[in-house]
Amino acid sequence: MSAAKVKMRGKKMRNQPVSVQYPSSSAQNGGDTPNPERTKNPHQRGGWVRGHQKDGGGYTKEMPKHITAGSFASARAAEVQAMLTAVTKTTGSCHVYGALPKHMRRRSMSHNTKRLPRRLRDVANRMREKSLQAGSKKKKEQPKSKSRKARRRHGNLLLEFNRRQRKNMWLETHIWHAKRFHMVKKWGYCLGDRPTYKCYRACYRAMSSHCLLQDLSYYCCIELQGEEDKLLACLSLLTSKETGPTFAAALSLSGRRQGSVVLYRAGQYPSQPLGPVTFLWRPLVPVVIPAGVVLTPEPESEKTPEAQQVTGTKRKHSGKDASVPPAKKILGDGTRSPTTAVTWKSSSTGIVINDLTLELVRYRLIGPQSHSVLAETLEAATDCHEIDKSQSSPLWWPEHCKDENKMNLHQQQADVYHILKGIYSTGELPPGTVLGLTVDDPRVTLPTKKVKALPCVKQAQEVDEEKRKELMLQGVPEHCCQSYLWEQSVRDNVTDNKISEQQLNRMKSEVLVPGSRLSPIPLQGRVPILLVHQPGKQVGHEMSSWGAGWDLLLPKGWGMAFWVPLVYRGVRIGGLNMTLKHSQNKGVSHFPHDYPDCPAGVRFQEEQESELLDKFKRRPPAKRTNYIKHGCLAPFRCPWQQLAEEWELITREAESQTTTEADTVMEEKMTSRRDITVTKPQSHVTVLRNRKSLRLLSGWCKPTTSKGQRRCRVGEVPPLDRSAATSFLATHVMSLVWVRLSLLSKGKPEFHAMVCVPTAEDLQLLKKGSSSTGPQEPPHKDHFKSRIKRKKKGNKKTSTPALLPKTDSNESDLPSTSEPNPTTSKDPKSSSQSTSDLIFGLWPDPLPSVTSHCSRVTLGWVTQGDFSLSAGCGEALGFVSVAGLLNTFVNQPMEHRGTLLLRNPTSLHYRFAKINIEV
Amino acid sequence: MTEPRNPGMSSIPQAAPVHTDSTSPAVEMDPVEYTLRKRLPRKLPKRRNDVYVNMKTDFRAQLARCQKLLEGGGHREICVHGLGLAINRAINIALQLQASSQGVLQLAANTSTVELVDDLEPEDPDEAGEPMTRTRNNSAIHIKVFYPDPQ
Repeated sequence: MSAAKVKMRGKKMRNQPVSVQYPSSSAQNGGDTPNPERTKNPHQRGGWVRGHQKDGGGYTKEMPKHITAGSFASARAAEVQAMLTAVTKTTGSCHVYGALPKHMRRRSMSHNTKRLPRRLRDVANRMREKSLQAGSKKKKEQPKSKSRKARRRHGNLLLEFNRRQRKNMWLETHIWHAKRFHMVKKWGYCLGDRPTYKCYRACYRAMSSHCLLQDLSYYCCIELQGEEDKLLACLSLLTSKETGPTFAAALSLSGRRQGSVVLYRAGQYPSQPLGPVTFLWRPLVPVVIPAGVVLTPEPESEKTPEAQQVTGTKRKHSGKDASVPPAKKILGDGTRSPTTAVTWKSSSTGIVINDLTLELVRYRLIGPQSHSVLAETLEAATDCHEIDKSQSSPLWWPEHCKDENKMNLHQQQADVYHILKGIYSTGELPPGTVLGLTVDDPRVTLPTKKVKALPCVKQAQEVDEEKRKELMLQGVPEHCCQSYLWEQSVRDNVTDNKISEQQLNRMKSEVLVPGSRLSPIPLQGRVPILLVHQPGKQVGHEMSSWGAGWDLLLPKGWGMAFWVPLVYRGVRIGGLNMTLKHSQNKGVSHFPHDYPDCPAGVRFQEEQESELLDKFKRRPPAKRTNYIKHGCLAPFRCPWQQLAEEWELITREAESQTTTEADTVMEEKMTSRRDITVTKPQSHVTVLRNRKSLRLLSGWCKPTTSKGQRRCRVGEVPPLDRSAATSFLATHVMSLVWVRLSLLSKGKPEFHAMVCVPTAEDLQLLKKGSSSTGPQEPPHKDHFKSRIKRKKKGNKKTSTPALLPKTDSNESDLPSTSEPNPTTSKDPKSSSQSTSDLIFGLWPDPLPSVTSHCSRVTLGWVTQGDFSLSAGCGEALGFVSVAGLLNTFVNQPMEHRGTLLLRNPTSLHYRFAKINIEV
Repeated sequence: MTEPRNPGMSSIPQAAPVHTDSTSPAVEMDPVEYTLRKRLPRKLPKRRNDVYVNMKTDFRAQLARCQKLLEGGGHREICVHGLGLAINRAINIALQLQASSQGVLQLAANTSTVELVDDLEPEDPDEAGEPMTRTRNNSAIHIKVFYPDPQ
């Protein structure tokens, strides 16, 4: 027997009772079988002696003379017992399949027991059940899920959808987006971030030459009702004339143009901004309603209490929770009423605030062809002649048809809309124009195939040239800005009476000639809409009117009915990241990103930091970027407050140095430092939004074209010298200013890149050859690395107390790279606690001086940076400290004024960049 | 127009101040009170052989583009358009084309006047009230560069 066979045999015999082992040869002489009945058989007596006899396999010759019955029987009983146990116990492998010879085994038997021979089936079934039970203990706890068919049944599907949007609300186009986009949960909504297909460049091209469509229904929309003067008085507290036109601007007050402002807490300007708002005054009606369309929910939650405070309103509803949708099972169409419009009324002024968020659907079309897309998709509503005029109808449109004035207005609006078709580019219109309109259901004219909407200027020739010119110069006449979308009753009527897709398709299929247009269009299909022109790029000197477009406002419930026809006109669809790119190219600050002084901006920054930090920590330490070595103090956030404070200190020093002697300055420095560290926290950093100051700054930084080739013409600017700078800084020391930086040579800035001041040598380098790519930062030393290592060791030994004094002594030489700064004194104290949360590659929390950490002085950071497809070079948007910027300008020679350095957090290479402040 | 960079955009800023300061005495304008915003010039549909010249793109690139159209593109004629400051460059391009073709190409120049629209936004919204819109004229040139017919 080979070793393997022995092993196998040992395994088989494992469970056999040792005492009853019979040799294999025993099969020949059945007499060995110890059956009690056979004992009577005479030649089986050998069996009475247990075990194999050594003598040649033969049996004892002599018969036993006698048998003691008692002992014999008990011995046999023991044997029987042993045999029975051996039989009941399974030997070897416990699988049923093991019982089958190999050639009869099939893999499928394991899950289909019917493939087994019948005799084994029961056992196999039993075993299978047992294993299933053991394996799926967790599964059992879950409710038994219905079949897919049942789950997909309409009612069940809606229930499921309602359940899924309890936490994060869905827009009406959610399903459409979810099939095509990477969705993110943001601001309490599920929003499409970017499409799953590659389309970054295609979307850019769509924005610059055709049309890009976005669903912006998540914007907060607030309606204020009240007397005009009272409203204006209240709203004027929230804004300031210094930042540009306010709510009271004449043109927007007439309702013909959309306006935009930045709101501040009541009477708090220039500190405590809340966020940007676009607004629209309802024209012509004594009750003036501006719909302040706040960009995202965060400012809204800030704004409403604020507005109440101003207007002296009291909430009718108990609290903010009132706006959370009640979790009722709605089995209706997709027009769930998520927010039962929350209303507050002021007792003193009579101003009513309505929250219309998600009551209106808002689509944005960006690009020069967006109006041709609109013109092709929407058709002005056809009136209903055949309807009996006396008969009253539950629908709103037949009622309107009876009124002569209303029909006249509609006719005029339709005329204006018709002229619009003759315009080649959206940018030719007056910015912010508003046009009210009533249109037919666009599903009726849905093309069978996707087509690309192109402008038809041929048609324009037919259009009266005079009228077109008037539209371009004057915009839409005032009365045409009126829309029935403003009226709650009409909105509700339209939403309630929408024909379902199914019904409409049935009607289409019943048309006599298949594929022909449905006519007459069912009366339910008249929708009031509001078209709001969005101005394109208005700042700067290049690419003006880039990214102009239209906003389409619809009553809720009609979202998909308009979305699909628009998509069928060959537009591209963009997500959140395209919104960001759009505003970046347009030179408009994007809401939470570029408002670091707003509560929402602060929150955004915190979220971003934790997100980036998590991502960073997920990498193994050896594969992480060591930001300490790169001299990057805060790669995941921008400590604006610290930056502004430090620059304020520096400017103060500079001032005092000019007046007093050096010794006293030192004294003063020490005291002032202490003062600042104690007193500063109450004055917060703000973003400079004063138009006049911005214009002055813009003139000082010598605006040029994007790559700095040519100077742009600016108006008269007072020359910049120390006194001018000082007087400017008197009001704006703690301010940041939003700037655009374009790289002079190659390079792609990333967010949180540092904006630095070039030294005189750097400028010499630039002067010598424009091909020079820029200076290098000497690599920094990571002092924390050894500490982390030691900490790890200490953890192993669990002898940390012995190490503590050492770390302190090490700490003293740590910030040698930077000059003495206010935070140094704090460092040793905090080091003992901070060792616990040291992360490899990042500075621990009390940061040393952010301005003087590197070899070049830091002015600020970049918030968004990318290769700009419109400028053809790397472009970055970011904030710099006003004090630092002016300080730099004063010290820079005239020919290099406005040249700064930019360095990515993951790189040691500085790149030259030109600064531009666009007003 | 398929191109984001169109002729008018970059040429206007250079040409404009002359107009705003001198040629419009009718509109009394205080530079502090109003902000001037220029709208895009009216665009017309563009054929493949239309070349709009601007001041932003490199001159050689524009010249190469025209040559490519005439030689590789198989067009018998192209139109070079220039507005305002870019008139000079348009003429330059046309002449260069002619010179490099050893006199085979012929030119036919047309001039025109393009009406441009400016928006004047008041600085102080509460006093000035209505923002103004006004039109001003700028010159344009359209040069047809073509191979003459064999006859």
